[in-house]
Amino acid sequence: MRDRDTPPNRAARLLGVVVASLRTLSDRWYATPALTVGAFALLAVLPQALDVRVFGVGLASVLSLQALILALVWATAAQSWNLVSGFAGQFSLGHAAFFGLGAYTPLVLAREVGVSPWIGMLAGGVVAAGYALCLGGLTFRYDIRGSYFVLVTLAFAELLLYLFVNVDAVGGASGVVKPLPDAYGAEFGLAAFQFTGRLPYYYVVLAFLAVVTLVALLLERSQTGLYLRAIRDDEDAARAVGIPTVRYKLFALALSAFFTAWAGAFWAMYFPSIRPRMVFGVLVNIDIVLPAAVGGIGTVAGPVVGAFALEIISGLGRQAVDFPELQDVVGGVVLLLVVLKAPGGLVSLPGKAADLVDRFNGERTSVWDRDPSRTEDD
Amino acid sequence: MLGVLLGGIYGIVSVGLTIIFGVMDVVNIAHGAFVVVGMYTVWVVAGQGLSPFLGLPVAGVLLFAVGVAIQRSAIAPLAEERQSSRLLVTIAFSIVIVAAVEGTFGPTPRNLDLDLGSIEVGGVYVIRGQLYALVVAAATFAAVWVFLHRTHTGRAIRGTADNRTSAAYAGVDVERIDALTFGLGAGLAGLAGGLVTFVQPFDPYLGNTYLTIAFVVVILGGLGSIPGTVVGGLVVGLLHVFGSYFLPGSYYNVLILVVFVGLLVFKPTGLFGGEIDA
Repeated sequence: MRDRDTPPNRAARLLGVVVASLRTLSDRWYATPALTVGAFALLAVLPQALDVRVFGVGLASVLSLQALILALVWATAAQSWNLVSGFAGQFSLGHAAFFGLGAYTPLVLAREVGVSPWIGMLAGGVVAAGYALCLGGLTFRYDIRGSYFVLVTLAFAELLLYLFVNVDAVGGASGVVKPLPDAYGAEFGLAAFQFTGRLPYYYVVLAFLAVVTLVALLLERSQTGLYLRAIRDDEDAARAVGIPTVRYKLFALALSAFFTAWAGAFWAMYFPSIRPRMVFGVLVNIDIVLPAAVGGIGTVAGPVVGAFALEIISGLGRQAVDFPELQDVVGGVVLLLVVLKAPGGLVSLPGKAADLVDRFNGERTSVWDRDPSRTEDD
Repeated sequence: MLGVLLGGIYGIVSVGLTIIFGVMDVVNIAHGAFVVVGMYTVWVVAGQGLSPFLGLPVAGVLLFAVGVAIQRSAIAPLAEERQSSRLLVTIAFSIVIVAAVEGTFGPTPRNLDLDLGSIEVGGVYVIRGQLYALVVAAATFAAVWVFLHRTHTGRAIRGTADNRTSAAYAGVDVERIDALTFGLGAGLAGLAGGLVTFVQPFDPYLGNTYLTIAFVVVILGGLGSIPGTVVGGLVVGLLHVFGSYFLPGSYYNVLILVVFVGLLVFKPTGLFGGEIDA
């Protein structure tokens, strides 16, 4: 019995208590809203924290505002991707199509017709959703699933890539340069979707991420979300109990495309120009999938956690070694480790750690708290 | 001529993709990266002052080893997981391999300076290097076909693709077949990458182009069908050459993909495909 008081065991028991109370907390109804609001509040003050130095080491050495903005863009796109590929289980490798349409539509509309980029962004979302319905109509109609769906979505994204490379009306291979705000009768500022500094962009894309996250949370709790998960787990069974699976898959794909286009629109308004390969290329497809895959496919927190984890790790890597290709390698290596060692993604790790603590304590109890009389009998 | 050669290369890349898919149900995103490694292998061999044709078997064997290593270390442990996690592993390898090639050889396009002259065949001048490459491509197809249909191991591969469980009951070591298939598919991709160097300048990012084309070819011919893949490869190769002759810019790529979408509308199982049962 005295063994229970050795320091490692005491620490383990203390940890067990902490884990137990955290478990109760996470079961409360306010856990998710509180966590979401807290996370976004943290993200809102993060740019200010970049310059704070603790023990001479500032966050700025690992993360720049530019890196944070990119992390948020990919988090937004990955969150949208997750709606159809995570919740509904239709793994798409062609979301660059929607990203690119979302990037081109506001720019072309603003330059040619003088329409506000905000309206252009919504139009881009509708165009992307329309393209998604074409894609989904063709594939879901013939019950194309799994690996076939992956191939077809990639081909649809590449189709747009080559189309935009060749159509000179949208700039061909050299792409479109972002017009100045007065091209559509506006001043730099929120109304023009163009700012003179980087910080406002950060808050715009943070707001986008918040909207998509809210949609994802609502969808997860709705009846539609339940249907989508049923389709993911066993589509034939879902159809057998009367769920119109094709209609729900189409809905998820169109919704996902609409919000992916938002990320594309932000990309177009943030950088001075876009080229087809930058918004439609195969690498964009992978950039959209990576954060969700690393963070945890099918979870709301996953894409956000994954996007920031990747950005932080590649920031640390950049500091450690001066090798420009390292950034790309980091994504691949992290993905490989996650898939092999933590198939549920990074967000599954706290739960696993908690289980580990429980098992450690459980084993100790079973060894030391065993009833002495019964052990004598055996 | 060039169309047939391109078609042959597309066909070899796609045969590798389709046997991997048929046996293991893995969409191998790293296939484009394997092609890139093949290109640079031939380039390195040619850089040693040796014949680039010697680089072709080297590329094939190297990629076979790489393929077996990847399958053993990262794909076999995920056999029981969702299909998407195996897909993610191949994505991860494609990122790492392309970045490694870029880090080693730099992003600038390379060109194999090969001038064997040309010969006249019936009034048409044919570049000698391309002719030899075509011969190699045809021989590869023949070898693959003979291997899959006339050898015990080849039959075991086809049997595993057909029905995994039954093959296991019939005494086929399906795990060994998995490794062998992935290695074979990767080796074919490497060989095809080597052939690419005879046709066009190459850089580390060319793999993505070949990956997309291989996807199109594979679906065009019907997933899992090797004759379909050969025909699909030829169709795409000819579309490429004639499209680039008659259409401005790189519209031929659009043409290829429009044909693909059209096929999807009218005959979604592919030219030679049967029932879709993914």
